[in-house]
Amino acid sequence: MNPAEIAENASAPPLLIRGVVEPRLEVHKFRPGAVVGACFFALVLQAFVPAKVWKGEIVGDLLELPLLVTLYFGLSRRNPARGLLLGMVVGMLQDGLCGASGANPIGLFGIALTLVGYLASTIGARLDVEHPASRVVLAFAFFYFHRLAYVLTNRWLLAQNIPWMNGRLLAASLVTAVLAWPLFALLDKLRQDED
Amino acid sequence: MFEIATRRRPYVLLAFALLFQILLLAVQIKRPDGARLIRVWAVELLTPPERAGAWILDRLGGAWSGYIGLVRANRENQRLRADLGQMSLRNSELEGRAAEAQRLAALLEFRDAHADAPLLAARVIGADAGAGRAVYLDRGQHDGIQANMAVITPQGVVGKVLEVYSTTAQVLLLTDKSSGAGALLAGSRSQGAAKGTGEPLLLLDYVSNDQEVAPGERVLTSGMDRIFPKDLPLGTVVEVRPANPFKQIRVRPAARLDQLEEVFVVLSKKQWDWEAAQAAGGKPEPAPDGDRSRTGALSQQAKTGQSKSAPPAAERPKDQP
Repeated sequence: MNPAEIAENASAPPLLIRGVVEPRLEVHKFRPGAVVGACFFALVLQAFVPAKVWKGEIVGDLLELPLLVTLYFGLSRRNPARGLLLGMVVGMLQDGLCGASGANPIGLFGIALTLVGYLASTIGARLDVEHPASRVVLAFAFFYFHRLAYVLTNRWLLAQNIPWMNGRLLAASLVTAVLAWPLFALLDKLRQDED
Repeated sequence: MFEIATRRRPYVLLAFALLFQILLLAVQIKRPDGARLIRVWAVELLTPPERAGAWILDRLGGAWSGYIGLVRANRENQRLRADLGQMSLRNSELEGRAAEAQRLAALLEFRDAHADAPLLAARVIGADAGAGRAVYLDRGQHDGIQANMAVITPQGVVGKVLEVYSTTAQVLLLTDKSSGAGALLAGSRSQGAAKGTGEPLLLLDYVSNDQEVAPGERVLTSGMDRIFPKDLPLGTVVEVRPANPFKQIRVRPAARLDQLEEVFVVLSKKQWDWEAAQAAGGKPEPAPDGDRSRTGALSQQAKTGQSKSAPPAAERPKDQP
């Protein structure tokens, strides 16, 4: 049984996991409602703040809060099943919110965030992702992974020739990576103390 | 099994999650022609198996049709083979009848050429089962046949009647070891005796060494044996060797003794002029009534290819008992 599989069994006592396989990795638990609340606020901010607060400003388009939330909880909980389900739900809600303005059919962000949640949980079960620098790097990398999945799905299903990369996306990836540092630290506060 | 399912659960879950969303997208997305993507996929997904199924059914149907055709062809082949066998049999039968008709025609011609000779047509019905060279005829004592009567064919002498039964007669062929006939050379008229050797060739004995005999010379009956009428074709000289005290002359019989089917039995030992009759070209003296009726029956036999039945006793020659 590898660490990822042990991490899947979230119901097992953390001490047992640490003692048997990987003593440095820790499966974090969060306060009740923390995950749902965080995701909800991320979606609200993603959908409404750019439209209402930063109308017409480029900064609004650079936000990828659902991606960061999915990434954070995937890395922290280290459970691929939960990670991918969370990514799927968040992504489909994001599609739904975007769909209100006629942008996306439901499932485009869902597929991308499902993959992000699964991959983040798998990586989180193998690497120490507590260091702020590693979080920034991961956020930057996952931005492009998310973009890759999104573009592929778009091109395959919708036959839309959207660009892989441009200057705006580069700026968004940097903003997302930088934003990950304080956001992840903020979300760390929602963790449930094991002691 | 459960452990494997548990271990694979994230992958399975991931696959289901992706599949669900892809299908969800496919339901929402419309192609430029208005068809929903899910419908296009369904058609594209189901068409190949349907096409494959149709292809398989076509092939199966074709194979079945081929099989049925093969079975029918096999039956037809068997029927045609049976027909062919029957046709071959029929053809052989007809060929045999044609050959028989030719032989009977030759016999009839021969009979007409020697109308004054008391000849009785007979059919060879069997051969000697022993080492001897003899055949059995379908005519016997009831037909006027007696022992030591000559048996001939249009080609030449066959042999003599050895044993007579009520409806059959045994004929000793010239080639039997115990058979013999008075003979003379057609050219020199030198007389001798033709003996059977048990082999296909005869031995002409008692011809002195100073007689000129050449291969190819004809050998006739001399009539001295009181059995065979004079001047009947006996054979042809095939080999001449000087020997002491007489030449050793081997003669090939004129009659095909190995292919006998119909023969004539000379019912009278009265001599008649064979060569004169031959020279007359089938215009002999009028035959007795009994002989005419036999000739008519033979003619009918030659025409129909059917075996002639035994003549009634009233048709027997008056010089026969």
